[in-house]
Amino acid sequence: MTETGPAHAPLPVGEDEFRLIADSAPVAVWVTRLDRQRSFVNRAYVEFLGVSYAEALAFDWRTIIHPEDAARLLAESIAGEASLGTFTLEGRYRRADGAWRWLSSTSQPRRNAAGEHIGFIGVAHDITEAKEAELALRDRELQLSAFINQTTAGFAQVNLDGYFTLVNDRFCEIAGWSREQLMQRTMQSITHPDDLDRNVKMFERAVREGTPYAHEKRYIREDGGIVWVNNSVAVIRRPDGQPFGVLAVTLDVTRRRDSEHNLRKSEESLRLATESAGMASWELDLGTMTGKWSPNRFDLLGLVRRDDLRGTVEDWLDRIVVEDRETARTAAYRCFEQGVPYTLEYRIRRGDTGEERWLQSHGSRIDYDDGRPSRFVGISFDITERKLAEERLRDSETRFRTIFEQANDYILTSDLQQRITSVNPAVQTALGYSEAEVLGHSFADFLDPDQFEQATAMLRRKLTSGGTTRHTLRVRTRDGRSLVWEVSSRLIEDAAGRPSGLHAICRDVTDAKRAETHLRLLIDELNHRVKNTLAIVQGIAQQSFKAGSDLKVAQRAFEGRLAALSEAHNLLTREHWGLVSMTQIIGDAIAPHASAGCFSLEGPDLAIMPKTAISLALAIHELATNAVKHGALSRPGGHVEIRWDRIRNNDNSRLSLVWQEIGGPGVVPPKSRGFGTRMIERGLAAELAGSVSIEFRPEGVVCIVDAPLPEGAE
Amino acid sequence: MRDLSGLHVLIVEDEPVVAMSLEDILEELGCIPVGPASRLSEGLALAAGAVDAAILDINLAGERSTAIAELLQARDVPFAFASGYGAPPDGFDVPMIEKPYRAADIERMLQVILAG
Repeated sequence: MTETGPAHAPLPVGEDEFRLIADSAPVAVWVTRLDRQRSFVNRAYVEFLGVSYAEALAFDWRTIIHPEDAARLLAESIAGEASLGTFTLEGRYRRADGAWRWLSSTSQPRRNAAGEHIGFIGVAHDITEAKEAELALRDRELQLSAFINQTTAGFAQVNLDGYFTLVNDRFCEIAGWSREQLMQRTMQSITHPDDLDRNVKMFERAVREGTPYAHEKRYIREDGGIVWVNNSVAVIRRPDGQPFGVLAVTLDVTRRRDSEHNLRKSEESLRLATESAGMASWELDLGTMTGKWSPNRFDLLGLVRRDDLRGTVEDWLDRIVVEDRETARTAAYRCFEQGVPYTLEYRIRRGDTGEERWLQSHGSRIDYDDGRPSRFVGISFDITERKLAEERLRDSETRFRTIFEQANDYILTSDLQQRITSVNPAVQTALGYSEAEVLGHSFADFLDPDQFEQATAMLRRKLTSGGTTRHTLRVRTRDGRSLVWEVSSRLIEDAAGRPSGLHAICRDVTDAKRAETHLRLLIDELNHRVKNTLAIVQGIAQQSFKAGSDLKVAQRAFEGRLAALSEAHNLLTREHWGLVSMTQIIGDAIAPHASAGCFSLEGPDLAIMPKTAISLALAIHELATNAVKHGALSRPGGHVEIRWDRIRNNDNSRLSLVWQEIGGPGVVPPKSRGFGTRMIERGLAAELAGSVSIEFRPEGVVCIVDAPLPEGAE
Repeated sequence: MRDLSGLHVLIVEDEPVVAMSLEDILEELGCIPVGPASRLSEGLALAAGAVDAAILDINLAGERSTAIAELLQARDVPFAFASGYGAPPDGFDVPMIEKPYRAADIERMLQVILAG
């Protein structure tokens, strides 16, 4: 359905639980949309910046990058975003308190259910301590090599009793005694008492066995200061092979010793810092493949803390779930063997509870220039909550996305300039435009000017008084049809509560509107017919209740006429006021007067207009009433024949209808012509636009109708 | 009050029963009914003849009586529309009498248009 279209703007996060979880995380977390705008940041993020939540959302992080890192970080960030993959940045940023902090951030692309990229979710760890330790190590190595390369070594020669016999200037400088003083002294006398015992043993052994040795020890200078030296010692012999003294090549390693001491201190503080941040560390001597874990690393993996804190690579790998284990092993050994640092996210199964947790681990190798075996240092921390939050976020997005995609209603969003930022498939189908043809376009492109004005007025109303507006809008489709939509819309607000756009749910009410219009027409028509019928009823009443007429007779006549009118209406209603059957209308009109065999009907079943049907029904009713009262049906044996036919004559057809009464008493023509006669002779004639005559023949009444058959009558 | 007797009043009405009632009402008022015409052509023919006033049903079996009204207006013959429902045709400033009507309604209406 949406293979290649541009990604939708993400739906608002708004998930309280996600916020809570993210806020409790010690690391900075943020969520960005496609337009790089952040839609969410957690508490740690806000606190790092030291600004309000709203300001944090819009904060330009480029302004707080360390100048030395800026160019690199920007380039890596752009490349990372472009790759649409997970990418990591490492650099210094200025914290709210002005301190430069090393942050390692990992940005991971977010995808919707359709797999479309919709932004990133990022996490940043403060790695300042780790970074500083790493830098300290590097510094120390630089210092060492500078020391070795740039200073001349000291030389000192002593006899077998330890008395100095030869020293160079550099040695004097290192040892902190003048040559004259040294020539009066023994090596033992200027060696730090704590180092002396060990030193003497090595010295005696060297003299005895002739073995050279190297060691580090302290000299006490004349000024009381202490100097650390690295002495490489060899026995000097006479030509006869007898040892007569030893020669030491002396290097001042005080600064190295100090920096190592400092480093140990800094490593200790790093460990404490990382542990307090929930990070566990481990280190490994890559020469012996033995190492120590921080106590909380055992806790992290659900293992019992060991007294000696020894932990192996396999102890770690054993806890990793099978699916992730080989990836971790490969990354770790690549780091051990080739020095490639790694950052991994993987699942472990805790040793104690068996619970599955997500961990993130970083590992790097530290190499030394002085031939010492390389060391590996790694840190790990639990990212389960973050993973769960991501998952929940994904689920929630999927849920929203599903509603958005599947809804029959039209869902769309726009910015405050009424430019469309997203539409669901239903909108595209209804309007006949593809998503690309709609996104970024103004509402004005799909509305007539007056309708756009109305939409704009509604937006203004929401901006001033908030809430939801509901109104109907006429919308133009691609092929020019106009649809009527009922639009419910409200403002989208950013996290700071400022309006940032518009969200609308619309429903097509075109059919409903059409039905409404149709209904109104029907009601108008009904009203017209009711009024018309009332006019007829009034006419009948007026004709029935003439001055001087017998009230009972008049009433009976009136009721009969109303019944005939009603019967005709019934038929018309059944036929929905369309054409009605002539046979039917005559049959209904005579029914109240008919007993078996009284009437014979003969003629084709012509269809007649509704209005004509009413007049015909009333006329037949009058004739039948008269026949029952005075004519053929006033005594047994009499009957009435009704015959009609269509007579074709060239282009037009005519209706010929004859009512003939047979077998009645002798007919006496009435003195005056009453309603019935008038109704028939004039009313029906006028209605049919033909001629109608009633003949009062002595053998029976005859009524002859001759009228054109209108178009459509069959 | 004007004496209505002897006035020729044209009836244009396509409903026979209603036309007959109107005939009777007019006769009681002393008028001489002309028609009733139930078709447009019929009405036009009668409107061209000797009439003093007219009562026009607006709808005549699907046609409108506007043409008759125009002819009467051109001849300065006062008239009124009669209808069950709806407004009089545009452009005529004449009274409209609603169906169903009573004799008194017709009399009052005739007085109004003849005084007009």
